[in-house]
Amino acid sequence: MERFYCFSKDKFLDFFKALESFGTVQAPVRVTDQSFAFRAVKEPKEIAFEALRTILPPKKFFYPGRETLVSWQGNEVKDHQPEIQKQVLFGVHPCDLAGLGIMDTIFSAEPQDNHYLLRREATIVVGLSCMPDKHCFCKSMGTDTPDSSAYDIFLTDIGEEYFIEIKTPRAYALFENDQLLLKPITEEHREKYKDFWLKRSEAFQIGFASDNLRATMDMEWDNPVWEELGNRCLSCGNCVPVCPTCYCFDVIDVASLHEDGGERIREWDACQFTGFAKVAGDFNFRPGPVDRLKFWYRHKLHGFEDPHGMPTCVGCGRCTVSCPSGIDDIVGTVLRLQAKVEEEPKKGPANDK
Amino acid sequence: MISSPFLPTKATIRSMIPLAPDNYLFQLQLSDASMRNCRPGQFIELWVPGVGECPISVCSGSVDGMMELCIRQVGRVTTALFQKQEGDWIGLRGPYGEGFPLDEYKGKDLVLIAGGLGVAPIRSLWQYILDNRDDFGKLIIIYGMRHSIDLLFRAEFKILMRRRDIEVYIAAEEIEGPALPPVSLQLGRVTDMLRLAPIDDNFQAAICGPPVMYKYVIKELEEKGLTHQSIWLSLERHMKCGVGKCGHCFVGGQFTCRKGPVFRLSDLEFLPEVIECS
Repeated sequence: MERFYCFSKDKFLDFFKALESFGTVQAPVRVTDQSFAFRAVKEPKEIAFEALRTILPPKKFFYPGRETLVSWQGNEVKDHQPEIQKQVLFGVHPCDLAGLGIMDTIFSAEPQDNHYLLRREATIVVGLSCMPDKHCFCKSMGTDTPDSSAYDIFLTDIGEEYFIEIKTPRAYALFENDQLLLKPITEEHREKYKDFWLKRSEAFQIGFASDNLRATMDMEWDNPVWEELGNRCLSCGNCVPVCPTCYCFDVIDVASLHEDGGERIREWDACQFTGFAKVAGDFNFRPGPVDRLKFWYRHKLHGFEDPHGMPTCVGCGRCTVSCPSGIDDIVGTVLRLQAKVEEEPKKGPANDK
Repeated sequence: MISSPFLPTKATIRSMIPLAPDNYLFQLQLSDASMRNCRPGQFIELWVPGVGECPISVCSGSVDGMMELCIRQVGRVTTALFQKQEGDWIGLRGPYGEGFPLDEYKGKDLVLIAGGLGVAPIRSLWQYILDNRDDFGKLIIIYGMRHSIDLLFRAEFKILMRRRDIEVYIAAEEIEGPALPPVSLQLGRVTDMLRLAPIDDNFQAAICGPPVMYKYVIKELEEKGLTHQSIWLSLERHMKCGVGKCGHCFVGGQFTCRKGPVFRLSDLEFLPEVIECS
């Protein structure tokens, strides 16, 4: 059962201290004029409350870019247990909460991923409301309302105060020692809260209708748009680490140089790299950038049939802003593909009803 | 504590039997029972410590204390494996994936089609069928390769060819080098053998070979009257984790390592990138 409270913004230091009592607080900080990153913070003034999208999504805290899975020494092979530290992830916006929800589904599917799940359990996630900019399209992907399975606490900015939703008992326990911080909500708070989400919903500058997204991806598989975009792709793979839901990895051996031993390491991989779908005998199932770009778009917008069948784009706009060729403009691409559907209504089975 | 799906079990190399240039049959002594329920068509992840893992088809029809793998020296891991000696240990994880649909095959006529090293999983299937011969109908094995010198399981084929309850067709595109022990084979391709073989629309087909082979074989089978319901393909993908997480083996929308590597052709239709590659 969620509990609703509010607290004044001048009390943020007390709120921060309560979070710190659980573990290190990780929050968005400004790293350059234009970019933000989740980093460990010691005091609230380091936090960039205005940050919309960080360079890397919060997945890095649970599924690091590189980690050891198994180690061996001579004849002995053993499971490597990660070192887990308690932490609080502050300032996660609805798109990233949706991303975490998707990652949770994937890593908790059998066989469960111990490393991810242990880190996830040791982390309190504090969501924060936001106002969309010109690259945000979470509303189109249906991920604009906070995924309640992914957060412990959610803060909505209602002016002078934060409207706070507390969902888990462990999050509630953080404030037990400071009964004065959280105030009961009044009718005015309720109205402000409702108004905020309505205003936010109306603030989206871009978007598309997603009802026929799956059908569009199926029917427009041979659309010339892919050829055009793919031919501009540099295969740099930027779009993958910045995506909140890209989870593909490679597993490699790193042998010790001075003794008979070493580690098996998992590291992020990208389907946009040339060799990703290569098999023995030098056959490549996605040899060109066009094939690989289509594949990535398909996973994001259509989803796979197996195992979870859901589209994995959360509309955060990170790929759009980080693509050096400007081809990850998901909204633009979808609009072009959808226009095609309307242009040729008699051709595809999508219209056979 | 959840046990790691990435932790291999150890296996000792009992013998390394040369089958053809760069191809060995590895007989592995298993250290535990994790592979005991292995079915024809499944694969394992083979680990050479310090080098890496690669997915390998299980080659023996039944797995008890021992497992056989037919391996070609082609990449980094297999090259390191070929430098091992009898008595050395390696790591294994698995078995993974769905193998051939044995229940579906029961009581039916079968044609097994192998191209090149694709004969490895096909061998596990024919060994299983011969162990349970009465459960199955007619059995035809078709095996093709580029050079006759690359023929694998030469001695085993000699024995198979003497049996009355199997028909074996072997073809090479080029006849080259000594063929000992001699096995009667023909000049041609798998598709030529398919045309010769007495296959009708009652047959079920199991295919494994290089990716380029599939579309030609499927066409021949269609001409024999087989529907896509009765054609099963073992697909080649680089399964890196084997447990449906790493993403390398996606086919259309399926993880080859979980739903495959053996797929029914009718389940693959309309999925992009399944058979075509370059």
